[in-house]
Amino acid sequence: MAQSMLNKIVVNGACIVGIVGRNVGYRPTTTIKGYATQLKERMLVPEEKVTKSVFMSQSTDIYANLALEDWMYKNMDFSNHHVMMVWRNEPCVVIGRHQNPWQEANIPLLNEREIALARRSSGGGTVYHDRGNLNVTFFTPFERYDRKYNLELITRALYRGFGINATINERQDIIVSGTASKLGRLTAYHHCTLLVNSNKEDLKKSLAKREHGIQTKATPSTPSPIANLSELDNRVTIDSLQTAVGYEYLRTPALHLADGGQSLINKQRGFQFINPTDEWFPGLNNIKKELQSWDWCYGKTPEFTVSRTFPVPPELLAPALVYSATQELVINMSVEKGLISDVTLSIPPGLVESGFHGQASVITHLKGKRFTSEALNALEEAMLTKRSNSDVKKLDDREQFVAKCFDQVVNTN
Amino acid sequence: MALQRCIFQATKQYIARTSFHSNFKQSYCELRHKFSTKVPRKFTDRHEWIVVENNVGTVGISNYAQESLGDVVFAQLPDPGTELKAGDECGALESVKAASEIYSPLSGNVSEKNKDVENKPGLINSSCYDKGWLFKIKLSKPEELNDLMSEEQYQTFLKTDTEETHT
Repeated sequence: MAQSMLNKIVVNGACIVGIVGRNVGYRPTTTIKGYATQLKERMLVPEEKVTKSVFMSQSTDIYANLALEDWMYKNMDFSNHHVMMVWRNEPCVVIGRHQNPWQEANIPLLNEREIALARRSSGGGTVYHDRGNLNVTFFTPFERYDRKYNLELITRALYRGFGINATINERQDIIVSGTASKLGRLTAYHHCTLLVNSNKEDLKKSLAKREHGIQTKATPSTPSPIANLSELDNRVTIDSLQTAVGYEYLRTPALHLADGGQSLINKQRGFQFINPTDEWFPGLNNIKKELQSWDWCYGKTPEFTVSRTFPVPPELLAPALVYSATQELVINMSVEKGLISDVTLSIPPGLVESGFHGQASVITHLKGKRFTSEALNALEEAMLTKRSNSDVKKLDDREQFVAKCFDQVVNTN
Repeated sequence: MALQRCIFQATKQYIARTSFHSNFKQSYCELRHKFSTKVPRKFTDRHEWIVVENNVGTVGISNYAQESLGDVVFAQLPDPGTELKAGDECGALESVKAASEIYSPLSGNVSEKNKDVENKPGLINSSCYDKGWLFKIKLSKPEELNDLMSEEQYQTFLKTDTEETHT
């Protein structure tokens, strides 16, 4: 019954939706008045005049969905219309705005499994998404941002729909979710992700902590225990949860938690299918491109340093020398905006004698290179061109060892 | 030998005294400068403050903003050289689980960012009007300063603003 009604509303909604991109409040970006006076004159409408919509994104592309959030944040006016957006993605890892992807995610695994890595503009920690989790974003005017309300609303939906008693912990996470927000001058949004039947193995592997030797001021993630809602009650599916949360949102007044019932649902704008494309949301593609770029996903990483030590296998060392202890190769790097700004390789004497000369020039070759296989390639090239005998175009065992260690530092495999 | 030691001690004392004295003098000047400044602090409706001296504005966030944000864990500040218009997004402060945009109160060119705050974002909470300043900006349209609120106006604004959100 609820499902069929949902379909009906959605069909109705589809007609309304065309308006969303075009009419619903393009905010004037240039103001004639001074910046300061603009907001003071903004009047917020009383609670009963606020209407609500549930937007259901038809895309499962993380970059398209994040771009849509950003587009709505920048272009829509939520002062008398609050929006909840529900969306899902193909497998991906989403890091917080000020996080370090090399520290938070298992990059080699992501590359191997073609799991996307994205950086969002809200704060907080790293999450894993796949088709088994539902993401929910709440858009309100800045003044009406209320995290507690949003999360309570979800727990109420879980209780009303499935009889599940979820609790909110002191970090204001629901047991089954990660949550983060972005506060702007006019608009604020708060999003969270609910695990329904996510692949927990992939989740754990994608976020697995590896030895990285990274020192940074970047925001660290707080790992939380995870559980799938479908394990608590097998009636919970993405669709049923979407319906339950959507109706709960529509039957709840805009500013306080109460049950407005069917009569309140009827006053709202209902469920609407939306398609995050450039035709619907002019300019969306540019935002999407920006979000997909290396400069945003990796280049926005706060400055960090890496320090790793690798014991050198005895067979690689010059046999003529006697060593008092295990010889170690030490690699230190500073990385700014995702680019290597400083490197030191401390190569034990036995390994240096083996034909790997010209440390200093190797290092200048690395500066400015991306903290990826780009840096590894530069190192290999530098080692090759620096050889006394330039005819041989292959690294010897010792150089290969240095390259392999370096590879582990920049996390390419 | 004893004489030598005596002279050495005397020199040491003399050096210590003079250097203390000069330090004292310097910090006294600084303090005097800090507290005698009559340059008023101006505020925006998004709770940034700016103090302008010799056409260079120092920007920070107000105590109210600092309190409502909670513990700031990361500060992303604009790089020197960035051209900004009044109201432009120019950075973000991340507290536990929310990233809050920073907006430039006035137009101009960023001349300096507070590296101490980048390294220790908690300064914004502990000293929002002094050590927790965010960046300095060389103004291109000083007349915009008149659009901002005075301390008094800001206090009234805060009262109405918070009343609104609580009703």
